[in-house]
Amino acid sequence: MLRASAAAEKAGIPSVTIIGSSFMRQAALVSKGLGLTLPVAEYPGAPMVDSDAELRRKVEAHLLPAVITGLTQPRIAETTIHQPPADPLPGSVVFSGTLPEVEEYFHHQLWSDGLPIIPPTQEAVAAFLAFTARDRNDLLGTLPQEGREATILSIAINGVMAGCRPEYMPVLIAIVEVIADPQFRIEDAGSTPAWEPLVIISGPIIKTLDINHGAGVMRIGRQANSSIGRFLRLYMRNICGYRIAPGDGDKGSIGYTFNVALAEDEEWSRDIGWPTFGEDLGFAADDNVVTIQSVVCISPPTYSSGTTAAGHAQQFVDAIYGAFSYWAYSGLKRGYWHSVLVIGPSIAKVIAKEWSKDQLRDFLVQQATMPASTMKHYATKTGGLALDFEGLVKEGLLQPDYIASSDPDRLVRMIVAAKHIGIVVAGDPGRNQSRGYMANHSQGTRTSKRIELPKDWSQRLAALQHPKS
Amino acid sequence: MSNGGQFDVLWPLAKRAVNATGAAPAIPDLSGKVVAELWDLIFRGDEMYAILREHLQQRYPGIRFVDHTHFGNTHGNQDREIVAGLADKLRSLGCDAVISGIGA
Repeated sequence: MLRASAAAEKAGIPSVTIIGSSFMRQAALVSKGLGLTLPVAEYPGAPMVDSDAELRRKVEAHLLPAVITGLTQPRIAETTIHQPPADPLPGSVVFSGTLPEVEEYFHHQLWSDGLPIIPPTQEAVAAFLAFTARDRNDLLGTLPQEGREATILSIAINGVMAGCRPEYMPVLIAIVEVIADPQFRIEDAGSTPAWEPLVIISGPIIKTLDINHGAGVMRIGRQANSSIGRFLRLYMRNICGYRIAPGDGDKGSIGYTFNVALAEDEEWSRDIGWPTFGEDLGFAADDNVVTIQSVVCISPPTYSSGTTAAGHAQQFVDAIYGAFSYWAYSGLKRGYWHSVLVIGPSIAKVIAKEWSKDQLRDFLVQQATMPASTMKHYATKTGGLALDFEGLVKEGLLQPDYIASSDPDRLVRMIVAAKHIGIVVAGDPGRNQSRGYMANHSQGTRTSKRIELPKDWSQRLAALQHPKS
Repeated sequence: MSNGGQFDVLWPLAKRAVNATGAAPAIPDLSGKVVAELWDLIFRGDEMYAILREHLQQRYPGIRFVDHTHFGNTHGNQDREIVAGLADKLRSLGCDAVISGIGA
């Protein structure tokens, strides 16, 4: 809404934007990032739980006067152009103190994520910068919502703070390249479903950096997985401005904690004759790659047993895609949503004896269905959206089979296309468990970037002097 | 690094790359003006716009509205394209002002 209003204003056409009261502070922050002070009309409370009479009263008593004022009264352009307060210079020292004092200062400034940070001193940051050939001022993009520059220096500083090791720097750069890619839609990361990015790392660097792909792969505990996952959330707070209250930019209604980075058991995948996750995405086996997608829903731990591919796959349909059924409509209305299946190695081995990954995907696409009427019901309850299958087919976003019958209770596919299913072999090889991760439709679209290593990567690694136990 | 237990720490944010600009001039009297209604198809905007329209028409003679169907869903699959082409679209439809919603 605000981006549309800003486009109108920049064309010389005055606007007013209708905003729910709990979004007012985020609206001010987004306006600032767009370089404008945009007039807004506040709707008090949440319209989806108001009666018709209450809605009318609020529109008449609150929205109407604010709309009139917003369009007809003298505006910022006619008085003074907003100038944000001066920021410190990038790379400058902003505070000096003891460790507890630094922690307190960063916490007070909303520069931490509520956990202790490693103080980003000049020396610590320099150690990270030594692991890239790029200049500290290289610009990877300008990131919403605050419109700040994503520089190599900002990556190094936040990498230090998150508890990363200096040698993770090439991974961290690739992560920021992903979120700076317009395809990823980082501008939607403050939305109410509160999706979290999931970093998936592919290639030989998994071994080099000791990234966990085995038991407890998605748990806090291994330094690389934990700190790389933390880095991305911290970067989104500090550079994008996605902060929960008392910050302003993150409107996640409930949310959950950040994801640790995920890696695949690539050796196991190759041994059973499946391409790796990275190869599925078109990369070479020896390419080091970062892939990120949003995660808005995680399935239950899904146990499956037996010696047939279909037996395991049906369990994925029932337990994993069953958990995704409530939110599947949100992807259908945009023509896609991604899921990642983290399949336990022992289960993958059974399936791979019969099926390729594509055969597994085809099975899931065909079998994961739900009644069209239920999907429409869920869409209506979220925000009042009328899910129009006919219109979506006409737009080319869905295939004609979605309207093959006029029966309102006909079964429709939850998964739009097989290519939207990612498969990663990881977890405990000694147990028969898998798990699924669902993206928040087009927000945080699955996006990949190669990890570029400096030419003298091996020498730089060899020169590291981490204390040994 | 630590200097006698002291840490000199760097600013963890980055430079803003936003050029502040002024908002468009207001329209003191909306009588006879054309108002565009931009909508993201959710949060009961259709009901809100209907009530706003009813009152604005009483207060401002000759005011006209261009409804959301002329612009498309501002929070849908084509949102970026819609925003990119919005200025031209508004001009081509003769719009003088915009109401955009619903952020809730």
